[in-house]
Amino acid sequence: MQLVNDLVSTQNLDNTAGQRAIVLSAQGLVKGYGRGKRRFEAVQGVSLTLHQGSVLAFLGPNGAGKTTTIKMIAGLVRPDAGWVEIAGQNPHRQVAALRQVGAVLEGNRNLYWRLTAEENLEYFGVLRRVPRRLAQRRGAELLAQFGLADKRQTPVQKLSRGMQQKLAIAVSLIHDPQLLLLDEPTLGLDVEASQTVKALVKEIAAEGRAVLLTTHQLDVAEELSDRVAIIRQGRIITEEPTQALIRQFSGSTYRLEVDGLLTPAQQQAIAAFGGTVNGSIVHFSGSPTSLYDLLNVLRPLPLVSVARDRADLTQVFLKLMQDPADIRHD
Amino acid sequence: MIDLLIAELKRTWIQFIRYPAEVIAGLVIITSVFYGLFLSAQYMAGPNFAFGDRLDAVVVGYVLWTLTLYIINDIAIGLQSESQTGTLEQVFLSPLGAPRVFFARAIASLALRLSLIVIIIAILTGITGSQLAFPPVLALPMLSLVMAGYGLAFIMGACALIFKRVQQILGVFQFVLLFLLAAPVEEWNGPIEILRYLLPMLPSTGLLRDVMARGIDLNWGDFGWAFLNGVAYLAVGLLVFAWAERTAKHNGSLGGY
Repeated sequence: MQLVNDLVSTQNLDNTAGQRAIVLSAQGLVKGYGRGKRRFEAVQGVSLTLHQGSVLAFLGPNGAGKTTTIKMIAGLVRPDAGWVEIAGQNPHRQVAALRQVGAVLEGNRNLYWRLTAEENLEYFGVLRRVPRRLAQRRGAELLAQFGLADKRQTPVQKLSRGMQQKLAIAVSLIHDPQLLLLDEPTLGLDVEASQTVKALVKEIAAEGRAVLLTTHQLDVAEELSDRVAIIRQGRIITEEPTQALIRQFSGSTYRLEVDGLLTPAQQQAIAAFGGTVNGSIVHFSGSPTSLYDLLNVLRPLPLVSVARDRADLTQVFLKLMQDPADIRHD
Repeated sequence: MIDLLIAELKRTWIQFIRYPAEVIAGLVIITSVFYGLFLSAQYMAGPNFAFGDRLDAVVVGYVLWTLTLYIINDIAIGLQSESQTGTLEQVFLSPLGAPRVFFARAIASLALRLSLIVIIIAILTGITGSQLAFPPVLALPMLSLVMAGYGLAFIMGACALIFKRVQQILGVFQFVLLFLLAAPVEEWNGPIEILRYLLPMLPSTGLLRDVMARGIDLNWGDFGWAFLNGVAYLAVGLLVFAWAERTAKHNGSLGGY
């Protein structure tokens, strides 16, 4: 039953994505650096597609090719092969395609530190072809939305790290782009700032923008993303809806806790189902259908909890990194 | 483009003025360096030496020297510092295209610099008692000089995009610049006379010396050459810069330092 539900919800997700417009399409991206023996293939045939309102977590270890891929999408690194289209335009051929891209790049300040929050928003608005007055108005709205209205006249260098990051995201939205590229948006932030940034990313996706997110904080990826793409040594090894991927790696073991002691007859019946009893805890491996049969055996004891062992994205990621057999060449 | 220009003027001005102590210190340093230069020239020549238009030439030469040096370093140093502070890639994400953005930046930065120079000249003429001629027609050879200067600045900017660290090249370039500004091109004859028109900025500096220090009327024929020289170097500079942007994107080294 559970498996059927899983399948149905996965299909729904895919269908919903299919109905939404494609914002980003990157196909067969290849990039190598250096020459001769020093030649290093950073990205080898990466393809990604993002629909309106979706969040794709792009994960991989350091040096796997994430940043190179993001920069190829943003038009900052030219691919050796393959192509990128943002809302139907190629940023490497039509500079106007950049009108639809906002980016917060990792390791960069992304802002002018001597300028205040509102001065940064106005300047970058004009740089992204927003008329100056509109940039001022939109800047004020974004500052209010991001909870920075009272800091609008503070120079960036006097803002906290969390506020700077929020402002960098606000600046990346000043021209109302359809695609937002976020490279490690929560890196170096404290718990509270990290929560705020996560909430903002959810809001941004809910507005209908497509978000491509890279992060090493896999709990952040799990919480925010609809889909996950994992890259290793320049190749995508898996790309699936986040929850489907987690289910795929989750076990089928259930842990049940009852209030009270099980009778010997109940214990025998549980053993017949292949379950084990430890005090008031029952462990059971089996299909979701036979779980209901087991629940009948436990009657009339009150149930305290029924839980299925569930993998998290960290376990999925580590398994995929360790097992070369899982590589899916695309 | 007007919005971009206003935005760049505003950004340049705010970044310049946000720390007033820095601004005042800069003005004091440049003015005192020149005053020291003037005093030592006077000491070497002896107090009774009649400077006449030679002193004017020193003022003109110094002003030109600081202005062109600033212009030529402007783009390369800006690129380097922005790649260090991490804003450069955001600039290259502009749908306006990098050459247009950097051209607007050049105009904004020049406007600020020219305003400073006017202040410094006012202080210098007050201190030295030197009287410089400022006919409105002076703007024309200044324009051709600045265009050629920015042509070289875009070429240096292209070097910064590709080679990243260009302090050494900029250092060496100061000597080339000294030659371009101080060479007595008006006196060149024979086959090398053609270099007067071909080398960057040379036709403009000669005209400026004539108009500012010697009080000679502008020679329109020479200005035509100077203007062509300016336009040609600016065009070449922009083309080389666009090529360097493509190359840096190909090498994946745009934001690196």
